[in-house]
Amino acid sequence: MSQAAALPVVTPQLVAALSKVVGLDAIITNAEELLVYECDAYTLDKNLPNVVVLPRSTEEVAAIVKLCAEHAVPFIPRGAGTSLSGAALAVGGGVMIALTRMNRILSIDYENRRALVEAGCVNAWITNAVKAKGLIYAPDPSSQPACTIGGNVATNSGGPHTLKYGVTTNHVLGLEMVLPNGEVIWLGTTPDGGEAVAGYDLRGVVIGSEGMLGVVTRVLVKLIRAPEAYKTMLGVFESVEAASQTVSDIISAGIIPAALEMMDQLITQAVEAAYHFGFPLDAGAVLIIELDGLAPGLERQAARVEEICRANAAREVRLARTDEERAALWKCRKRAFGAIGRLSPNFLTEDGVVPRSRLPEVMEFIRATSRKFDLRIPNVFHAGDGNIHPLILYDERDPDQLRRAVEAGHAILEKCIELGGSVTGEHGIGVEKIDFMTKQFNAATLDTMRQVRAAFDPSGRCNPHKMFPGSKRCADFTSKKQIAA
Amino acid sequence: MPRFQFIRDQLAAAIQRGERTGPLDLRNLNRIIRHTPEDMTVTVEAGVTLAELQRQIARFEQWLPLDPPVAEAATIADLVLNDLSGPRRFGFGTVRDHLLGISVICANGELIRAGGQVVKNVAGYDLCKLFVGSHGTLGVLVEATFKLQPVPEIERFVQLRCASLDLAGKLMTAVLESNLTPTAFDLVRDQDKSLRVVLGFAGVREDVESQMTEAERLGFLEASTLDHDQSFRCGDSPVHHTSVLPARLIDTVRNLGDLPFVARAGNGILYSRAEQSGNSTPLPAVLALMRRVKDTLDPTHVFPELRL
Repeated sequence: MSQAAALPVVTPQLVAALSKVVGLDAIITNAEELLVYECDAYTLDKNLPNVVVLPRSTEEVAAIVKLCAEHAVPFIPRGAGTSLSGAALAVGGGVMIALTRMNRILSIDYENRRALVEAGCVNAWITNAVKAKGLIYAPDPSSQPACTIGGNVATNSGGPHTLKYGVTTNHVLGLEMVLPNGEVIWLGTTPDGGEAVAGYDLRGVVIGSEGMLGVVTRVLVKLIRAPEAYKTMLGVFESVEAASQTVSDIISAGIIPAALEMMDQLITQAVEAAYHFGFPLDAGAVLIIELDGLAPGLERQAARVEEICRANAAREVRLARTDEERAALWKCRKRAFGAIGRLSPNFLTEDGVVPRSRLPEVMEFIRATSRKFDLRIPNVFHAGDGNIHPLILYDERDPDQLRRAVEAGHAILEKCIELGGSVTGEHGIGVEKIDFMTKQFNAATLDTMRQVRAAFDPSGRCNPHKMFPGSKRCADFTSKKQIAA
Repeated sequence: MPRFQFIRDQLAAAIQRGERTGPLDLRNLNRIIRHTPEDMTVTVEAGVTLAELQRQIARFEQWLPLDPPVAEAATIADLVLNDLSGPRRFGFGTVRDHLLGISVICANGELIRAGGQVVKNVAGYDLCKLFVGSHGTLGVLVEATFKLQPVPEIERFVQLRCASLDLAGKLMTAVLESNLTPTAFDLVRDQDKSLRVVLGFAGVREDVESQMTEAERLGFLEASTLDHDQSFRCGDSPVHHTSVLPARLIDTVRNLGDLPFVARAGNGILYSRAEQSGNSTPLPAVLALMRRVKDTLDPTHVFPELRL
């Protein structure tokens, strides 16, 4: 039997010192209020942090992190808590640093197309602030009305339009972070500096590091020109296979749509019931295909895409005729997860990637897995990137269903690795997928990742028990807590 | 894996002598391992030249949109470890935007495989970024996987000569404020001291043609090429580069007097033969962090030192 891990000691002295830094209105210590912070959008594991602080400035974050260093206590950075793999879970307790009050857009440099924002700034606010000048911040995760840029940096977030525009790392020029020793550093391009920076691209290493290398406090993002025109189409197919083949054929034809999203029949029915868009209920799958760019060339490309859809026996190819129709279509897609409540009390959101040409194969595997575990698995995903999101439906009141759901998810992820893909395209490893790290990476690669972590955080107190095999689990700590109680 | 044994042997020998490794001969690593046209990805050994890679994938109307001026000689290792780029960086970005995975022999002789083969992947830390531009200070690159793009249907270049830097500055602002989306956007002063702004457009025919018409309205009437980049940056004497905020490029160029230069106007990158102040060196705390990364990954410093 493994020994229960030692809980961090958050002493009354530390709490008092923290309140002095942030003020009494920015510290949470009572269990009832801490409940909000017991998990992120991955809800299979839960644990309360000992204390939550809500700093208002980089200086306050640095002071908090220094206090944690003095008391040898772990700390967990947290944005809006929309992450899907437990990246913001206080596995063994500790001090949670919620960045939600540091949510300002500090400056917008239209001439050089950059914006400097605080880590807690909500993703969608940036585009809202600059769209009048014809600019956008490109990464658009489905949670963009809620998720923060700091959280996007932590997980290197994507979204439907990353097929053409890339993910967070392609749009973040530089960032300010508080190192686990309390030092404040700037990595990458500075707000008034050139884009090329001497030395290692540590900004690139921090992006996607799941909040384990320090607390990101400010982010310098790139703004790009909003596309001049869109052609947004809905392709209706008899089967998932036909839709998958269409995806492959579009990419092979040398067309890179801005977005290429698939919804299968189950999800289309749920979305239709929830949002009444007018989706066909009897189609095997629908594709949302969006082309964007300059107006003159779009017409011919759209015609070519329609041709490819028809060649794959599309029943219908509908073009959004107005901005409102386009917006309605995207609203359905981005809120698809929200419609699942109509199908099932609980669902597991999986996230895996396969080479795009292997989509038909992995979709067939998911159908077989659904039959094998006797669970429904609707799919709504970024088909153009090969990034699948099977939603495994279960009812938590039946423990066996939960067990089967988890097993089915694991089977699908293993299939992704087998097909040359990845166990996560945008949700991260967090606590959820720790066991897959050894399946996807060899020991030397994992060692190198650990070495990088050690260079940033020698004492391993920044968001511990994540990503690496051998990490402690919530359960390792609870036994001790029960003993203590 | 005997394929990389010669690298391990050289590392072991260097460690035994207590020396650093010199540049390794990677000419044997000359295979394109896997090109999957329908996925638009390619995995290639580090000794393949960029030019050879481009030739192979061009047969499928695909390309890696990176165009450093030394493509014929530059290997994939040069490209990635030195983060090479060319005039199309304004439209297509740099190595970090196209690199999906790498295989590297580390200081202890172990092979690491970071990233992967797929276009989207957030499993573990993004170690690829650490090696791009690391100048071989952290390991020996042996393979790389890239995401590819379709070769543009057509590509056109136009230029406009400017009588002064002030006029060039105004023209650059006009380009940025227009609806143009150039893939190349250079400011050049030739040997004869004349100044010109060069624009490149790539994509589907209708788009490029409409862009050319719009560029004409701004005065870009003369056909051009990107030859200036090759001839300037591959000359005899060393070329220094400086990176500034694009809006400060004109003021930076002013300091050069009459000296010739090539600048990525949209990116704020300046190539010249004058000793520039260079890119801003990192602050002490950042430098210390970079050194900790170097020391942890290469404890005996068998690879070259990190130079800034």
